[in-house]
Amino acid sequence: MYKNGLSYTIITFLSLLTHISLLTIVFIKGQYDSIMSPIILSAIILGSDILYFFILKFLKQNTYTLDILLITVLNMSVIFQSCFGKVGFAVKHFIFAVMALVFCQAGFKLAQNYRFIEKYKYVFYGIIGILIISIVLFTGSRGMWIDLGFITIQPSEFIKPFFALVFATSLAAQQNKKKILGIRIVYDNWILFGLTGLIVLLQWWCRDLGSLPTFAAVAACGFIMRICYPKAKLSKKLLIGISAAGLVVVIIALKFAPGYVQDRLHVDIWSDPTGNGWQQCQALIAIAEGGWFGKGPGHGVLYKVPAADTDIVFSSISEEWGLLTALLAVFMIMLIIVSALINTPRSYFHTTLSVGVAAVFIAQMSLNIFGSCNIIPFTGVTIPFISQGGSSMLSCGLMAGFLKAGQAMVYPIPERPHVQNAGRRKIV
Amino acid sequence: MKSLKRGSRLITFMIFIFIIGMVILIAKIQMEASFYISNSGSRNLGYIYDRNGDIIFDDNAEIGQYPDGYFKDLGNLIGDASGQMTNTLVAKNLEKLSNYSFTSGITYKGGKAAIYSTLSHDANEKVYSAFGDKDGCAIAYNYKTGEILVCVSRPSVDPIKGYEELAEGSLLCKAFYKTVPGSTQKTATLISAIETMGIDSLMERSFTCNGVYTNNTGLDIVCHNEYGHGTQNIREAFANSCNPFFAQLVEDSGWSLSDIENCYKKLGYSVNGSEETEISIDGIISAKASTTLEDKNEFNTQWSCIGQGTSLVSPCQMMMWQSAIANESGKSTMPYLIDHVTNVNGRTVESASTNYSEQLFSSQTASEVKDIMLENGLNYTGKIPGYTLGVKSGTAQVKNGEEENSLLTGFVDDKDFPIAFAILIENRESYDVSTEQIASVILDSLN
Repeated sequence: MYKNGLSYTIITFLSLLTHISLLTIVFIKGQYDSIMSPIILSAIILGSDILYFFILKFLKQNTYTLDILLITVLNMSVIFQSCFGKVGFAVKHFIFAVMALVFCQAGFKLAQNYRFIEKYKYVFYGIIGILIISIVLFTGSRGMWIDLGFITIQPSEFIKPFFALVFATSLAAQQNKKKILGIRIVYDNWILFGLTGLIVLLQWWCRDLGSLPTFAAVAACGFIMRICYPKAKLSKKLLIGISAAGLVVVIIALKFAPGYVQDRLHVDIWSDPTGNGWQQCQALIAIAEGGWFGKGPGHGVLYKVPAADTDIVFSSISEEWGLLTALLAVFMIMLIIVSALINTPRSYFHTTLSVGVAAVFIAQMSLNIFGSCNIIPFTGVTIPFISQGGSSMLSCGLMAGFLKAGQAMVYPIPERPHVQNAGRRKIV
Repeated sequence: MKSLKRGSRLITFMIFIFIIGMVILIAKIQMEASFYISNSGSRNLGYIYDRNGDIIFDDNAEIGQYPDGYFKDLGNLIGDASGQMTNTLVAKNLEKLSNYSFTSGITYKGGKAAIYSTLSHDANEKVYSAFGDKDGCAIAYNYKTGEILVCVSRPSVDPIKGYEELAEGSLLCKAFYKTVPGSTQKTATLISAIETMGIDSLMERSFTCNGVYTNNTGLDIVCHNEYGHGTQNIREAFANSCNPFFAQLVEDSGWSLSDIENCYKKLGYSVNGSEETEISIDGIISAKASTTLEDKNEFNTQWSCIGQGTSLVSPCQMMMWQSAIANESGKSTMPYLIDHVTNVNGRTVESASTNYSEQLFSSQTASEVKDIMLENGLNYTGKIPGYTLGVKSGTAQVKNGEEENSLLTGFVDDKDFPIAFAILIENRESYDVSTEQIASVILDSLN
């Protein structure tokens, strides 16, 4: 019933092979002071791989496709992050990778049963509320981080999974349309609409313009899924109307956007390669220098540029590993999303949730890769699972768990038909 | 289940959009990678060769490796990769010189990326020395093909030796910057008059020069010949370069101000601040001519048509007009410096082809003007022996009349030796080297 495609042994072998190939490249082409550096890296990567697969085997799930993809991507990213500038070991990134796997499992357990989510939906609204308040109180109007001294947290990252989650709640309410003053109203939709507005304002206020399109994508997908909910035919007119209205809003917003936004939208990076265009110019030069096959792990120079391991990580990987490997990393993340198309979710709740998570992942990847390569404005967001950064890793882990939930859902046990059974007994 | 499929469709749609973006990204990187590398600190640039295989640009050249002053004749045209000069062949074509490919990365040894230019290093060195201690510039090209053969601008710079203690103007190739054209402007006025009135009607007109002409608004137009040229027709006046004749021609009722304006605009002038589009020669920007024409009876307008006042033309553009005349086509041959380009593997990736401008004036006018210029050229056979020439000289007053620049523009009427040129000597005194001598050096060294 669930499609796993390949047997567990073969798929784990393929995942191991990916890591072994990358580690071989580190040994052959890498720049390291001592041979111990790549040996330690290899030991940790392969050791953790085997441990993960072992644990996974004991979890006894219906599907393990997504888990193994996730392990493959996460340890790939640990290898990448360990090699920027010189082969070493990115301890912090590795710890967050492990935590991301734990969060994935947590997200899976949380979202498995839609009745549970429905029952506690106000808790999730509450979590979003608390995160919003923490942004207002602690990050200030120009920041995105809360500094706790030993760790910095980016609350807006954690809003994303819950935002996707609440859009999947109370879908049945779509059918209970109440008329107020002749207008059909679905309360939940208005709450979500208000929440979207609030978050957009908040992002604007924080100058966190990178997250804004991500939230917009989740909201757009969420509303499309909600409007489509009743089994009634999808009203194309309505969809086109909403899309057109959205487009108009975006155009107006861009037209009346404040100066610093306009500057970002119309920046010609090559006219100012040492100022505003510094990061992007260096990122593009790095891709060109890396070519298809890269300079070799540790041989890059882009790591000296700010945000080399987060906002322009695609270029950092391209420089050291080559564009082909960078594309492979992107392809692996795409596979995580595609897994939702292979094992299609079996409830509308999980479908909506999967679409929301896919929207976050795709929006983030697009903003990061296309932004750093100067196809769209540079905003500074992370690539899921690849970029350095705890908040992003954990929140993406949680969302991967949501995706997994759609692929291995629990069927709620229907209430027992007491009456009928009682009757039978009497006959017996 | 139908409604569940919508989710899949939405995800597929998003993935589809993302993949389109990735395809655009890869295509963009493939196309622009050489450009990115040219901005990189780690790069390796190939040579630029002259038409005979001499190296005229070597990014890794060191002092002592080449004869002293070896690069100076073309210093401010070829430039270097230091960023000191921005309007040079190297600065505008870094990408083409880059020993790089996306597949193999930067090649540090044995890369074959190179620009094969149309210039003749030997001729340029001779022309550069011929200037002696005078400043100015000389540009010459094959008016059939467009190959620029000579392009010297003094003072110049030897990029290997650095940029300290340079004379003013060393970093600009003056051939591409506007200067007061002096009487060479009369060629443009002659073209406009023939275009508007027709040669027969123009030949019927004659005006008298007494050394000074008081124009319709009461101001004096002075002739360089203080005794006057007497009564002349257009051919004689052109040969005499007679200012009073041309002032009267401008005032003539046979044409209106807008006729002159239109002809000038077609020639490529920016008139009264109208749009000024530049000419690009393999990326090097050459300024376009400009002038102001306000009232036919007014001194300044007449003075502009004679070549003083607000008229400004680059020597390169003067030379291009000569091609339209010499070819009797009325279309300029577009000049170029790069014959072909090879990539890092030595494969030719770009080859020049001959292009022409739009119709500047009719081919009939071109023939008439050519005839008049060839007639004028007969006066130069003594000074520039050995060639059938069409020429027009000019003297331009600059710095409020404190200095006089000497100009000469023309062409060789020989289908086997089709050379057009423009020469400028700044602040020339009568005992200095003459434009005719420079022209002789150019033609002899190219022949």
